[in-house]
Amino acid sequence: MKVLSNLQGYGLAIISCGVALALAGPIDAPSSCFLLAVTVSGLFGGLGPSLLSVALSALAFAYFFLGRPSPPARESTSLLRFAVFLAATLLITVLMEIKRRAEESRSRSEEALRQAHAELAHANRVTTMGELTASLAHEVNQPIAAAVTDANTCLRWLTRDHPDIDEAREAAMRVAKDATRAAEIISKVRQIFKKGAQQRELVDVNEIIREMIVLLRKELSRQSIAVRTELAADLPRLMGDRVQLQQVLMNLMINSIDAMKNVEGKRELTIKSQRAQDEDEQLLVLVSDTGVGLPPQQADHIFNAFFTTKTDGTGMGLRISRSIVESHGGRLWATDNHPRGASFHLTIPTKIEAHE
Amino acid sequence: MAIQEKNKLVAVVDDDELMRGALQGMLKSVGLPSQTFASAEEFLNSGQQRQTACLIADIRMPGMSGLELQAQLNAEHCRIPTIFITAHGDTKMRMQALRAGAVEFLAKPFDDEALLGSVRAALEN
Repeated sequence: MKVLSNLQGYGLAIISCGVALALAGPIDAPSSCFLLAVTVSGLFGGLGPSLLSVALSALAFAYFFLGRPSPPARESTSLLRFAVFLAATLLITVLMEIKRRAEESRSRSEEALRQAHAELAHANRVTTMGELTASLAHEVNQPIAAAVTDANTCLRWLTRDHPDIDEAREAAMRVAKDATRAAEIISKVRQIFKKGAQQRELVDVNEIIREMIVLLRKELSRQSIAVRTELAADLPRLMGDRVQLQQVLMNLMINSIDAMKNVEGKRELTIKSQRAQDEDEQLLVLVSDTGVGLPPQQADHIFNAFFTTKTDGTGMGLRISRSIVESHGGRLWATDNHPRGASFHLTIPTKIEAHE
Repeated sequence: MAIQEKNKLVAVVDDDELMRGALQGMLKSVGLPSQTFASAEEFLNSGQQRQTACLIADIRMPGMSGLELQAQLNAEHCRIPTIFITAHGDTKMRMQALRAGAVEFLAKPFDDEALLGSVRAALEN
């Protein structure tokens, strides 16, 4: 608890020792008064002020209270009192410092944890979806703008009173170059979702589900959403890209949370994992909610790029999720729940050969 | 490119090579000589500011941005009629550019005729 600046802390130490000295005489309780002064200095000032107040108190104690003439028989008692007083003040100082350090380190790690939570929960949505979309749009827009200008320039050379074929040809060649660049950018984006760019490792789907629930716990409790999990214990691990699969599950769960934000009554997010019933070598994951459900008459469109029912949505989440699942050789589809809500079904083969 | 009339030079500052080529080609097709620069720094170091009658600049570029270039030119009392073209201009950016003396602010892809109209107007003044 660092509430005062350094200078203020030392000032406080001096003032509290002064007050203690002034009070100690009349009520004849020097140790209590000085102990209090040391405590106050340590609590609000920190280690330095605390040590200063110990020194000041010891001086004052020794000078004003032990310095008084006393019968020789009491000399040793006085010294003992002084020693005990000194030990007590130092002990208080040390304890205060230990406590403060513990508090500081706890609040630092809490802050770091909170930040990590927030960052991870939004990494998928904001960074990957939003920024990727924006920078992709910018990258593709650039050559398209150049192509439009070059095509118009070409027309201008051709439609002059004396058409200039050479200039027109040059402009047309630039159009071809522009369009080729746009196509290259698109093909690079495609590659991102291809197998080659993925980091394949053995992944435990249940572990990913649990991790994502932990990450979203705060959001879930803020929205008063109960989570129910039915995770099959003996699931085989699958070969896949852990981060991409995390993104898919995170995205489905965030969609469910958003779908339940404005509904009355029961809010429940259910996540199941099991072996697919008909095919042994497939895993099935089900994410279902009691939210607003799929948009009527438009259920097929939810996986289209740029289709969104949210005011702040990018319309890329489900599109990208489906691409990721398909690149793992699996399928992702949605059904309506009764009486309300939606379910997202995700199958992924556990055999490597099944990959596309 | 030959500079026929020094005071009629149009400068194009854009980090995108295709865009520079497209703008230069467009200007050539209406008989306007131009010179292109890949960055704001390159333009400032070229010493061509005083001969430039009209500047077409991108906003977002590596290094100095188009708006910073405009501020730098203003600071040098080098008032070149400036047309900004940008892929993602918001209203705030637009207002800032126009307040600082830009004559036009166009979104990519832009209308050629609108851009040429602004260039001609800048050259006539």
